[in-house]
Amino acid sequence: MSKQNDNLAQSAEKFMKWENDNKINWCNSCGNYAVHNAMKRAFALEGLGIKDVLMCFDVGCCGNGSDKIEGYTMHGLHGRVIPLAAGAAISNPKMKVVAIAGDGGTFSEGVNHLIHGVRNDYPIVFLMHNNENYGLTTGQASATTRCKTKMNGAPEGVVVPPLNACDLVLSCSPSFVARTFSGDVEQMAEIMRVALNHDGFSFIEILQTCPTYNRVTPEEWYEERVKPVTDHDVTDLWAARKICQDMDVNVATGILYRDEKRKGFMNVQTNRQGVKTSLVEEVKHYDIGKFL
Amino acid sequence: MNRLRIKIAGESGAGLLSTGEIVMRALQDMGYYLVADREYPSIIKGEHACFTINASAEPVHALCQKVDVMMAIERQSLEVYIDDLSDGGVLVYGQERQLNMKEVLAKAEARGVQFVHQNARTIAIDHGGSVLMQNIVLVGMLWKTLGFAYELIEAEVKRKFASKPRLLAIDLKCLRDGYDGAETKMKLEVPSAKNETILMNGTKSIALGAIHAGCRAYFAYPMSPSSGILKHLADYASETDMLVKQVEDEISVANMALGAMHMGTRALCGTAGGGFDLMTETVSLSGIIETPFVVVVAQRPGPATGLPTWTGQGDLDLAIYGGHGEFPRIVIGCGDSADSFDLIQHAFDLAEEFQTVVVVLTEKAIVKSQWTIPTFEQNKIPIVRNLEQGEKRYEITESGLSKRWLPGTSDNFYYANSDEHLEDGTLTEEAGPAGEMYAKRMRKLTLIEAVLPEPELYGPKNAKISFVGWGSSKNVMRDVIAERDDVNYLHYSFVWPLKVDVLKKFFEENTNVHLIEGNYNGQFGNLVRAKSGLEFKGKLLKWDGRSIFVDEVINYIDEQTK
Repeated sequence: MSKQNDNLAQSAEKFMKWENDNKINWCNSCGNYAVHNAMKRAFALEGLGIKDVLMCFDVGCCGNGSDKIEGYTMHGLHGRVIPLAAGAAISNPKMKVVAIAGDGGTFSEGVNHLIHGVRNDYPIVFLMHNNENYGLTTGQASATTRCKTKMNGAPEGVVVPPLNACDLVLSCSPSFVARTFSGDVEQMAEIMRVALNHDGFSFIEILQTCPTYNRVTPEEWYEERVKPVTDHDVTDLWAARKICQDMDVNVATGILYRDEKRKGFMNVQTNRQGVKTSLVEEVKHYDIGKFL
Repeated sequence: MNRLRIKIAGESGAGLLSTGEIVMRALQDMGYYLVADREYPSIIKGEHACFTINASAEPVHALCQKVDVMMAIERQSLEVYIDDLSDGGVLVYGQERQLNMKEVLAKAEARGVQFVHQNARTIAIDHGGSVLMQNIVLVGMLWKTLGFAYELIEAEVKRKFASKPRLLAIDLKCLRDGYDGAETKMKLEVPSAKNETILMNGTKSIALGAIHAGCRAYFAYPMSPSSGILKHLADYASETDMLVKQVEDEISVANMALGAMHMGTRALCGTAGGGFDLMTETVSLSGIIETPFVVVVAQRPGPATGLPTWTGQGDLDLAIYGGHGEFPRIVIGCGDSADSFDLIQHAFDLAEEFQTVVVVLTEKAIVKSQWTIPTFEQNKIPIVRNLEQGEKRYEITESGLSKRWLPGTSDNFYYANSDEHLEDGTLTEEAGPAGEMYAKRMRKLTLIEAVLPEPELYGPKNAKISFVGWGSSKNVMRDVIAERDDVNYLHYSFVWPLKVDVLKKFFEENTNVHLIEGNYNGQFGNLVRAKSGLEFKGKLLKWDGRSIFVDEVINYIDEQTK
C-alpha cells in the first residue's frame, strides 16, 4: 500500500464526503474518472471539506463533471472558466478555487484568458485536461492534436503542428507548472495537493486518455512514455522549458516549474496591502463625502 | 428661461476642459446653475472640439444648440462652430493672422455678430508663458465681455493653479491683460443668491454610487465613453480599497465580475455597446445560473466603431435582447449625474434581490456632461442582498425566486450549472423538469415588473403636446417644460420590463403624445407599441451623435402644434 493510500485510509470519511450518486455519463475508461478520483483524494488529504472549495468547470467532457462531485460548483461557458474562477477566487481567499477545462477551451477559444490568467497569477488551481481533441463535439482537432492525425472535420489529417501546452505557459512567466497523466492517480493527487497550497496560478496539464476519439495516444502509449522527473531543478525556467518539449519519447511529468518569489494576485495589489478582510466580507455602505 | 450660453471651441487637446472648468466654477460661485457638455473627436490631439456651457439663475439641464458667446481658441474650430453663434452674438477670439478668416468673419458680421479680439498668443508669450496660456488671456476677455467683476474669475484661476506658483504668476498677468483689453458686450442678470450645489458629471456619479453601494470590485476594458468609470474608481481605490482591474477583454471582464458576484461580493463592470456585444454570452450565463450581474453600458452611436466619442440611445434593443435564450433581466436608463448615483445603487439591489442581470444604460452625453446638482443623499437606498440559507438553490417556487446563499456558507452545496438543471443544479435534459425550471426563471419577470418604480411625470397632468422617453431625454424635456406651460413628459428610468399602467393612463389623459429618442428606429417607441398597443402621434428622433437640443424640441413642438 502506497503512503498516499495509507494516509487516505485515515481520511476516508473526508474522501467519502465528496462522492456522489449522480449518474456518470463519461465513456468507459475515460480519463475523467481518474481525475475526479485524484481531486477527491487531494481534497481529503488536505483536510478540505465541502465549505472550503469552489470548483469551476469549463464546457466539454470534463465540464460535465460539474455535478458528479459533492461540492460547490459552477459550470460556465466554453473557454471562459479562467476569468470566472479568478473572479471568484480573488473575492474570497478562504475558499480554494479549482478550475477545470480541456485543451479545446483552453488553447483555442480562451487562450487569451490562459495567458492573462498566468500573467496575473490569479490564485486558482487550473486542471487542463489534455486529451488532444474536442471530445464532447465528437472528435474534432484541437490546438494540441498531433500533426497528420485524422479527425472529425479533418479527414486528411491535421496539417499544422500542435501547441505544447506547458511550453506556452512557461513562456508567460508562470508561478507553477506541472504535467501529469490520468493513468497515475497518485501523482495527480500529489501534484494537486501542492497546487492547492500555492497562492497563485497553478497550471497542471493532465495528459488524458480519450478512448473514443483519441486512438493515436491511448492509455498504453502514455504508460510506456511518461517519465516522472527526477534530478530536476524546479526553479530553473529554462530547464523546465527544455524537458517539457518531448511529447513523443520521454514525456516528462511532475512539477516542472515553481517561482516561489511570486506572491499571488491579491498580495501584490498596492491598495490592498494590510487589508485583513476579503471582498466578500466588505459589502456595506461606504461614505463618499470625501470624493465630492 | 433666461440662460447664458457659452461655447469654447478649440483643438482637441488644447485645454478646452480645464478652461471650461475655470469658467464653470466661477459661474457656480456666483450662484448660477449649470449644465455643460464636451464634443470632441476620437483622437488625442488636433481636429475641432468644443465645450458648451449653459448657465441660468434657475436649474438648467440641457444645452441649446445656439450660443450667445463663443470663445474660439483656434481657427478651424471657429469655422466649424461659428454657425452655432446666434445672430448678434459675441465672438471672442485671439487669432493674429486673420487673412484666411476674412470670409468667415465677414459672414458673421453680416448677421450682427460682434467681435472681441486681442492677439492672445503674443500676450501670453510676452509674459513668458506658453502658447497654451493664450487660453487664460481669452478667459479674461470672455469674462469682461460678460460684464462680470474681475475678482470672481481671478479667484478661480488662483484656485486652479494654486499648486504651481510660478505658472500662476504668469497666468494672472495673462488674465489681467485679457480682461483689461476687452470690452463688455452683454448685460446679464446675475443670480440673486448662491446655490448649494455640487458640480458633477455622469461618470463620477456612477463611480460614487457604486462605491456607496458596497461594490468591492470593478472590472473593465478601456472603451469610450465608459473608460472614465475605470479612471475614477482606480483613482479612489487607494482610499476605498476596492479592487479595480483592467482585464484583457470584455469577455473576461464579464466572467470575472460574475465569478466575484457568485462568490458573494458586489462587483461591477463597465463598457460601451461593442464591449457589451462580447459580454452577452456571459449575460446569458448569469440568467441561467441566477447569479446577480450588473453592467454599465455607456452608449455611443454604432454600428461597429461608429462614432466613438459621440452620443446616442441606440443600444436599448441590445440591452434588452442581447444574449441567447430567454431569461428575465432589468434594464435601467440613467438620465443625468443626479439620478445615476441612485440608479446604480438600485441596480445592485435589484440584481441581488431577483438574482439576475441588470443592465444600466448611460450615454456619452451623460457621462461627459456636468451639472450643478444638490449634493448626494447617502444611506437613502438600503443594501438589499436577499441572502438566505436553504435546501435547494434552484427550488421551483410560485414566484420564481429561490433562496440564494453564498458558496462555502453552508454544507448544502449546489451546482450553478450553465446546463439546464434540477433544483439542486444537477444537469437534466428531461422535458418535464427542464421546462419547469425554465418557467420558474421566467416567472421572476412578472415579480420584477410589479416592484419596479413607475415612470415619472414632468409638467402638468394634461398638455397640448406630450412626450414619452428615457435616458437623457429627461434633461431636454425638463428645460422645455420650464419654458412652455402646455407640454408634459413621461420619463422611464426603469425601462425593462416595461410598466404600462401609468403609460396607458398618460395616453388617456393626453391626446397628442410623441416619442423622443436618440436613435433611428425609435426602439423604446417600438417597445411601447408592442407592449401596450399605443401609437405615438409623432416621433422626435436623432441619430447623428449629437444630443437633442432644447431649441430642436421647441421647433418640433411649434411645428406639431401649429
